[in-house]
Amino acid sequence: MVRVTDLSFGYHGRAVYRGLDLQIARGDVTAIMGPSGCGKSTLLALMGGLLMAQSGNVYFDEMDLGDRSKRQLYHLRKRMGMMFQNNALFNDLDVFENVAFPVRQNTNLPEKLIRSLVLIKLHMVGLRGTARLMPKELSGGMARRVALARALALDPQLVMYDEPFTGLDPISKDIVAKLIRELNDALGMTSIVVTQDVTEGMLVADRVIIFSNGSVVDDGRPEDISGSEKWQVREFLDGKSEGAVEFHYPAKDYLEDLFGID
Amino acid sequence: MSWLPQIGRISIAIVQHLGAAGKFLPNVLPGIVVVYKRPKLLIQQLYSLGVMTVLIVVVAGLFVGMMLGFQGYHTLVDFGAESSLGLAVALFLTKELGPVLTALLFAGRAGSAMTAEIGLMRMTQQLDAMKMMGVDPMIHIVAPRFFAVIFAMPLLAALFSVVGLGGGYIVAAGLLNVDPGSYWAAMQMGVDVYEDVWGGILKSVVFGFVVSWISAFEGYYALPSANGISTATTRAVVTASLSVLGFDYLLTAIMF
Amino acid sequence: MTQKGIETSVGIFILLGLVAIIWLVLKVGNWSPNSSSTYEVTAYFDNVAGLSVKAPVTLAGVKIGHVASIGIDSEDYSARVVLHILDSYNNLPVDSGAAILTSGLLGAQYVGIDPGAEETYLVHGGQIDITQSAMVLENLIGQILIRTAEGTNQ
Repeated sequence: MVRVTDLSFGYHGRAVYRGLDLQIARGDVTAIMGPSGCGKSTLLALMGGLLMAQSGNVYFDEMDLGDRSKRQLYHLRKRMGMMFQNNALFNDLDVFENVAFPVRQNTNLPEKLIRSLVLIKLHMVGLRGTARLMPKELSGGMARRVALARALALDPQLVMYDEPFTGLDPISKDIVAKLIRELNDALGMTSIVVTQDVTEGMLVADRVIIFSNGSVVDDGRPEDISGSEKWQVREFLDGKSEGAVEFHYPAKDYLEDLFGID
Repeated sequence: MSWLPQIGRISIAIVQHLGAAGKFLPNVLPGIVVVYKRPKLLIQQLYSLGVMTVLIVVVAGLFVGMMLGFQGYHTLVDFGAESSLGLAVALFLTKELGPVLTALLFAGRAGSAMTAEIGLMRMTQQLDAMKMMGVDPMIHIVAPRFFAVIFAMPLLAALFSVVGLGGGYIVAAGLLNVDPGSYWAAMQMGVDVYEDVWGGILKSVVFGFVVSWISAFEGYYALPSANGISTATTRAVVTASLSVLGFDYLLTAIMF
Repeated sequence: MTQKGIETSVGIFILLGLVAIIWLVLKVGNWSPNSSSTYEVTAYFDNVAGLSVKAPVTLAGVKIGHVASIGIDSEDYSARVVLHILDSYNNLPVDSGAAILTSGLLGAQYVGIDPGAEETYLVHGGQIDITQSAMVLENLIGQILIRTAEGTNQ
């Protein structure tokens, strides 16, 4: 579904990726895990065409995102859904209108049909009763589910979740995880879940990719990953703070820095 | 010699900023089609940017008009020309103070709000969310605001001038015993409808363009943090106000 | 605020704004549809003093046109003033006179037309022959001084 070849990307000269290769299979829930700051959200933005690769290619359904015109890119994005880290609900629209927004913008369906469509999506996430509430009246877990319903509004083939479990209590986490799994199977979608939450990530995914320092260190089924002997994986999964993920950001020598000896 | 690269760095930053602003405009202008097709978007913005600014414009216009009445009278009476007071007030308001002060008030009241609103949408990823739904935020979010400002500005400037003329009249006829008839007669005699009235309206359209361009641009490219948004808002008001004054000089030099 | 309330207030706003613009144009700018077309008449003065382009041209105190340009006639060095007079006042007799007058003692200067008695009227490109130059205050004071001096001598 998504293929990344020899991708390089960086911010202000600091490279996030150097020659990354990656492939996401159709129908799978793929969890991309890794310590914070390793560029997971950046990867989603690259896959959605919000950022453009500095070199290398990102293919969606075998179409190169880098070659698309702005118009084609917008057209392509209608087949993708993305749930953002902080939900990104439109605060001036109520829950119903938030979910209806992508439908209204991209189709000319009659109002009655839009209504049914939106209510179906809201029902799927169990929030049909909140249709007329404003986003600020929702709890964190509910807002997350509304964002999920909105990401699904156009029946996308690919859904990308950016940190869907952060800031939620264990019960809400579980609800969201179940929803991701069930909706993926029921609607025949492909899902990419970017998370640092090991438990939920393992629970929800068909396949887990572990990232460290901008490259893939391990890739496989959740069972294989949890039994992996690779030290970067162990370190991340077991939460050890001494190892490859450097505690110190690169800097010059400590003593030199303190005493100013050149 | 550390100031030399400093100058270079600042110059490059300024040029980059201007370039980005230039590239911003052609992305917004096609939005006029959407605004035309869906006037509801425009009406919403005319309300929050236009209607909400009426009060401040009217109050300011009244006081400025009254002030002009007093100052004009005390200057003119020394030459025995207080009967020209209406003309002086009318020319000041329609040509200069109406368009300029309205644009400055607008930049402070509505332009800054627009920058903060768009900046906040960027920070909370609402703009990215829109892109992912196949909706171009330039067209859907920026364009309605942009055109609403251009449309509202001349209306607000005209309101400012009319209320100001009323304020000048109150002072002249009510407090200073200027003949009410000559207040209006001098005005009609000396004000040129093309140069002064239409010229003033044209100015306010240009100011509307400048203010909304700067405010929208600063908001759209605000750094996604609380500090970034406050910096962008301040910069939008300062740049917009200075640009209005600069363009006022330019337009005055060209037109009159 | 409901959608309807928003739409109503926007409607009122636009209406008020348009009324303000129209009022400025019609009442302050004194614009009338036929005021746009004018015809041109030339007058020669010995001295125009402080007369400026765009100064009003009046007849019996009513504005009927404005000064279009001021130049020098190359033959006799008099001032050539071109007046644009509104088409609606196309019945000025050919023997009308033009005078440069001052509103108030030190006010702005304007051209006053004094209608003649002929049956034929001024047309586009016509010329006003009877003119009275601007009153220059310094000259006037000078004359008064001379007269007073002569008076004391006698």
